[in-house]
Amino acid sequence: MRSRNETIFKWTLYFAATALCSFVQSFLLQRLSLWGVIPFVYPVVAAVVASYEGPVPGTIYTLVLGVFCDLLLPGPLPCFYTLIFPVVGLCASLISQGLLSAGFVCSLASSALAFLLTDGFHCLVLWASGKGAWAAGGWVLVREFCVTAPLVLPVTLLFQAVFRRTHLDD
Amino acid sequence: MKNFLKHHGLWVLFAAAVIAVVMAVMSVFSNTSSPLANLTGILASPFRSAYTSIATWFNDKQNYYQDNLSLKEENAALRKQIAEMEAEIRQARLDSEENSRLKGLLNLRDERQDLSDFEAATITEHTVTNWTSSLTLDRGTAHGVEVQDCVIDETGALVGVISEVGYNWCTVLTIVDTDTSLGAQVFRTRDLGLANGDFSLMGENRLRLDYLPADSQLLSGDLVVTSGLGGYYPSGLVIGTIEEVQKDDSGAAAYAVLAPRVDFDQLTEVFIIKSFELVS
Repeated sequence: MRSRNETIFKWTLYFAATALCSFVQSFLLQRLSLWGVIPFVYPVVAAVVASYEGPVPGTIYTLVLGVFCDLLLPGPLPCFYTLIFPVVGLCASLISQGLLSAGFVCSLASSALAFLLTDGFHCLVLWASGKGAWAAGGWVLVREFCVTAPLVLPVTLLFQAVFRRTHLDD
Repeated sequence: MKNFLKHHGLWVLFAAAVIAVVMAVMSVFSNTSSPLANLTGILASPFRSAYTSIATWFNDKQNYYQDNLSLKEENAALRKQIAEMEAEIRQARLDSEENSRLKGLLNLRDERQDLSDFEAATITEHTVTNWTSSLTLDRGTAHGVEVQDCVIDETGALVGVISEVGYNWCTVLTIVDTDTSLGAQVFRTRDLGLANGDFSLMGENRLRLDYLPADSQLLSGDLVVTSGLGGYYPSGLVIGTIEEVQKDDSGAAAYAVLAPRVDFDQLTEVFIIKSFELVS
């Protein structure tokens, strides 16, 4: 059982690392257009943190990240990321516990699933509003993942460092 | 030597006097210098040249150093002057562009009496995700901006509609975004339709014109404007031009692909229509 201070310290570090990723997304990635799309780092962050932290803390973290994204980014629904990111977190943590141990390969697989879920949900919302665009959405999904995949390594290293720093006794 | 001068000094003095007188007389009657002076000059000439050369070399070096210093100072001053002038030119260009935009807006005000209240806004952020086409502006509720206000450029072309407003910011969904839907009218034929954002076309900055009459005869290049039906948006704002007419998936109905008049990537400043009068 962790002490209260340790828990606060751990989540403060995670918050700082997330803020760094958000800064990079807002001030750098958002201004780039590679292969016609903008690299999108938030699903990667959600997948990586959840794969290290496990189902319950990972899902709570991704829920908070989803709320943050909904406040920051325009979306088809007011709670779009709040709904989908916890699912991403849960799936990523289950992958790390059952299939692949947390690390770069697990992060890459979880990130691919994160993009599949997030962009699939986008397509579903469009379809539900009578503007279905599955082919175009699928093409955006492929390009978005391809241009964001190189960022999985630095994001994994960042959150791996936070995880190791805050789980010294494990 | 002492004895020599004692015995012959007087003669030596006399000879010197005679030589001096002879030379003086020669110098009076000669056009050139006296032989002795000439001889002295000949002997001194190389030394004079050498002195002059050395002095000239030193002078040159001194002048070079002074010139170099003054040129460096002058160069620095000129660089500063060029930088200032370039800054002035840049500012003048910006002023000129702003002037042009404001002139356009003034013409628009004269042409469109129904659009009464504009708010100039600067774009602070372009599209932030791959699933929306949006702009963030530096105007908000503090400036009287409201959700559903139309945003245009200086020519009166429609940019989009305000979707979210904060105290000093607002988000505009452009006309190609999937959530945008506007009553539209083809200017030439007066056909009515609905201009909708379509995700398949959004990447190419295009939108659809749906619900066209079955007998509509549209041509490529036809101008499409807002219809103003329902009173939600002002009428007559330019949406774009028809690029092509296509059949939908069922093959029963036709729709047109519209190319917006506005180039969203190049936009820096826009105008928010805060209020307008309904034109019957």
